[in-house]
Amino acid sequence: MMILLALLLAADRPAIDLSGGRVQAYPLAVARPLGAQEVSVAVESVLSQDFERSGLFKLLDPASFLAPASEGLARIDYFKWQAVGAQGLVKVSCDAPGAATEGRGNGEVKCDLRLYDVAHGQELLHGNYSAPRASLRQIAHRFGDDVVRFFTHEPAVFQTRIAYVRETEAGKQIIAADWDGANPQPLTGASINLLPAWTPDGKSIAFTSFRDGGGAHIYTVDAATRQVRPLVLMGDFATGAAWAPDGLRFLFSASLEDNTDVYLSQADGSAGRRLTDARGIDISAAWSPDGKRVAFVSERAGTPQIFTMSADGADVRRLTFQGNYNQEPAWSPKGDLIAFSGRDEHRTFDLYTVAVEGGKVTRLTQNSGTNEKPSWAPNGRYLLFSSTRGGKRQLWVMQPDGSNQRAVTSERLGASDPAWGPLLPAK
Amino acid sequence: MSESSHKSVLALQPRTPALPGIALAVGLHGAVFGAALFLPQLFDRTPPLRKPIIARMVALGRPRDPRLLPRKESPPPPAPASAPAPGPLAPLAAPAAPRVPGKGPAQPAQKHAPTRQELMQRALARASGRASAEPSKEEPDPERAGAATGSAQGSAASAEEGDAYFTAVHDAILENYVVPSVISERERLFLSASVLAWIGRDGQILKHAFQKKSGNDFFDQALDLAVQRTRLPPPPADLAQSLRDTGVVLNFRP
Repeated sequence: MMILLALLLAADRPAIDLSGGRVQAYPLAVARPLGAQEVSVAVESVLSQDFERSGLFKLLDPASFLAPASEGLARIDYFKWQAVGAQGLVKVSCDAPGAATEGRGNGEVKCDLRLYDVAHGQELLHGNYSAPRASLRQIAHRFGDDVVRFFTHEPAVFQTRIAYVRETEAGKQIIAADWDGANPQPLTGASINLLPAWTPDGKSIAFTSFRDGGGAHIYTVDAATRQVRPLVLMGDFATGAAWAPDGLRFLFSASLEDNTDVYLSQADGSAGRRLTDARGIDISAAWSPDGKRVAFVSERAGTPQIFTMSADGADVRRLTFQGNYNQEPAWSPKGDLIAFSGRDEHRTFDLYTVAVEGGKVTRLTQNSGTNEKPSWAPNGRYLLFSSTRGGKRQLWVMQPDGSNQRAVTSERLGASDPAWGPLLPAK
Repeated sequence: MSESSHKSVLALQPRTPALPGIALAVGLHGAVFGAALFLPQLFDRTPPLRKPIIARMVALGRPRDPRLLPRKESPPPPAPASAPAPGPLAPLAAPAAPRVPGKGPAQPAQKHAPTRQELMQRALARASGRASAEPSKEEPDPERAGAATGSAQGSAASAEEGDAYFTAVHDAILENYVVPSVISERERLFLSASVLAWIGRDGQILKHAFQKKSGNDFFDQALDLAVQRTRLPPPPADLAQSLRDTGVVLNFRP
């Protein structure tokens, strides 16, 4: 009879559907570092910045922590961390054996990094990492990637590299840096070098340069050896290399007989083949993540607009119809969106996305200087771009809905033309 | 004397076979369970509205030229202080007494900022293709019943109290419903969970339990917190008993 009653009651139970919960960052506490303070604090600092920039975590103010600084790595008073609102807890402890004798030399640093689930009182991740002192940041990036991968089941980008153009008094040089702008390394001299594009293996960067004085052409530079070699020297100018996801081909634009079109070439620069043949300029080609389609800018409709075509140049479709100057398409790694910069009615360039299916345009930046050159993170979670909002042009990063905009570079004379490097295989 | 007359009363009687009895019992139980499952469907009972309809009103403003690039959506301006929006926890207002035309003191026409209600009515008029900056000059039906806070486009004289209560429950839980950003967008597409909550006469959530977990610990944990943090108004008298005894199912999707 009880079961019968329960069944009858259950049949009459009201139900309410709830959707549209607020997406909110995960409250995370990064405890005061343990071990050798100099290295532990450095690792904790980089790790906290990674978490902060990621937009995934809300870092709790250390001033609010109730747990004593002496709390060890493993004996956690979860109640005290719950009381300050933490759902996750990160503990950092590093040691630098021989530091006392070697001073600040390049000895090996060993770190024990742990992630705890405060609500359930259990350890979620535990990693032991070691690196030369000069690569201390890499320890933080590696553990940060592990944490993000644990939560999202997707690859993280803290260990990826970016390339960009640095403004100098002598010209513009290609720079490679960590994803957060740290550790910038010049790869070229300072003639006029533009539009870097990483190869899918992350080993080299194609770029456009006036280095030989005969107009702009495309070169590559080895990211490790900094050796530069020419890639495309055809036409009056050749510019804007974009590597296919398989790394076997690349797209570029070249001007021949006063007509600028999109070309496809083999990885060594041979066998260039014209893909577009319309009146006006066709430029800024970008691959879809599956390598089957290409987005590009064309003036064939009278004003620069974003178009797509298949990788052999057929099946051309216009994608943007709003605005009269849309440029610099970048296809998202998930394939659903194309980011671009467009000039609005106030003649300001801002960033937008357009849905590949349906063509819905969404604005990402507004009232914050000129914003251009979007480049996707390889996991599709962020967009790197250049902005003049602070006076000088610098690189900024944001999430694809326009939220969580943060400065990446602080170059003295400015930075532009960002290109986010690929995910590298785990070491 | 017959042979039977010599039988002792202590002698064993021939047993009745058990099988038919067991079969009968099983059949009867089956029939009762079947009735419990299917009979409720035969009754012509109109259930109360249990899935609140959430309408997102298009902002009042000048339509943007479709040839221009879009602007970022801006939050709505704050409502005029003179017209506080009735919160979901506010008691249902009693219907205002109908005003009889031509009676009572004439009110001087005053210019005032449009109330939220007026803005909503204008927006609804636009949405229904009867755009007009001014309220309709058409004489209202003097017999038309409704509520002082109702809509010009309303189609019912009153709202069921139960509807309002479930809407209040929906809104109150939604206030605390947070999806952790660490759950990837791809995973969010497939997550769903159901929580059964029992509500006391004072509106307190007496207890709650997962009917179906999502499979993602962080999502389930967030739902747990959302229900724990929610404070509800007391349910109306006709719902109090069932909400306390049988509860309400909360079906969550990101």
